[in-house]
Amino acid sequence: MSSQPNQQQQTLGSRQKFMTSANKGKILSNKCLKCGHIMVGTIIYCERCHGNELQSIELEGSGSVVTFTIQAVAPEGFNEVGKPYAWVVMRIDNTSSLKVSGILIGIKSPADLPLGSKVKVESFDPKFGLKLQKFS
Amino acid sequence: MTNKVCVIGAGSTRYGRLDESIIEIALDASKDAINSAGITPDDIQAGYISNVFGVSDKQVHMAPVIMSNLGIPYVPGLTIESACGSGSIMFREAYANVAAGFYDCVLALGVEKITHTGTIQSTTLFSYCSDFFYEGGSGASFPGLFASIARSYMATHKASEEDLAHVAVKNHENGMLNPKAHVRKEITIDDVLKSPVVASPLKIYDCCPFSDGASAVILCNEAFAKKSSRQYVEVIGSGRGASPAAVQGRNDITTIPSTVNAANQAYKMAGITPKDIDFAEVHDCFTIAEIIDIEDLGFFQKGTAAHAVREGATRRNGEIPINPSGGLKSKGHPIGATGVGQVAEVFEQFTGKAGERTIKNAEIALTHNFGATGASAAVHVFKKVE
Repeated sequence: MSSQPNQQQQTLGSRQKFMTSANKGKILSNKCLKCGHIMVGTIIYCERCHGNELQSIELEGSGSVVTFTIQAVAPEGFNEVGKPYAWVVMRIDNTSSLKVSGILIGIKSPADLPLGSKVKVESFDPKFGLKLQKFS
Repeated sequence: MTNKVCVIGAGSTRYGRLDESIIEIALDASKDAINSAGITPDDIQAGYISNVFGVSDKQVHMAPVIMSNLGIPYVPGLTIESACGSGSIMFREAYANVAAGFYDCVLALGVEKITHTGTIQSTTLFSYCSDFFYEGGSGASFPGLFASIARSYMATHKASEEDLAHVAVKNHENGMLNPKAHVRKEITIDDVLKSPVVASPLKIYDCCPFSDGASAVILCNEAFAKKSSRQYVEVIGSGRGASPAAVQGRNDITTIPSTVNAANQAYKMAGITPKDIDFAEVHDCFTIAEIIDIEDLGFFQKGTAAHAVREGATRRNGEIPINPSGGLKSKGHPIGATGVGQVAEVFEQFTGKAGERTIKNAEIALTHNFGATGASAAVHVFKKVE
């Protein structure tokens, strides 16, 4: 957990910081010091009270599947994944409603991923975005 | 105090796979709208153009090119992009400028040409309309995003794939009566359920096609409309809304806040409630979208639309006819033009040009169109003027 309430530091390279955290299996979030709301680390003003005093917090990248899909036609470049994949929205554990989305490789059928399944952040792949994996 | 705004003319190309260039398509629809309004290009004081993927047909900065080819190169034009909601959001800007008194008469034109790029390239280009860092960049296509929304809705409200199929069957039934529709084919529930999966749980008949096409309308103030000898339609409500750009940013994935907010503004301005709407053209890019739309627009309680659709409440002779044109599902979805095409449908319905698909005794209609998964939206309400 790190604490960086300086807004200038927060806004510089927020996506790069998010990716760095994801590569450690974490989700970078911003906590509003005024109202306590927690949002993903790429949002630079509080989406609830619009405060700009935010504390950067790395959360454990584990959570549960809220929804997902498995696509027959993928956007360009994603055939290189080489295996079927699900695109997943997950709710981060120990937060009220913080969600992130990413790619979960190796899911062939909806039966392989019941809603509520436990998933965690694996890494941020420069080609395939936020990579998730199943765990129990 | 703002001026009353009227639609005095409308024109559309056929929607589908078109061979002409994007500019030729745009000019065809513009010419039809100008003729329909009984005006000449020199009556037009500004042009509003909506388009998303002009770059794929080697033309951005489209407005001046269109104005020049309409023979009015010194009339200012503006090109507006808001993904699949570009048409209605551009219409709102055209409306606002006439209402504010900046112009007496303007052209509002939407155009798109995409089919030449092929399925993979189109899928990729559309994914750029998402919050790409979180969505397209991790492999989500637009069918995939709406499929995720569908799975969430079905789990929350106990709706079935068959419920979604009813939307497709109804819109194809309506599209059969629209000579300009892209997919004129009657289908059954079984056809939908047995069609190939595009993004689970959505199948190919749950999805609108990639379409080329253009639609244009002429907007003017009431004094200008009254001077013309043509029948016209009055815009009585206009609303804009926004939602978190990414699906992950929404507290409830089964509703689209931009629709709710835009509709509430439009109803308030018009001084009406959803019960006063006689028919609506809504954004049914996927069957699940229409189910969510008609709840968010206030026609049905949350979680009840699937049942209402199954019971026929949204058919042409139902309690609230939805998408008499065939909607995006059957009429087609040339994304820069779609929102304007909805207004053109209302104009045709209210001026006796809708033929067999005319909704009898209709006097007030609504159009609803959004961008991406509803990150941006506009809703308009129209009144028939006798």
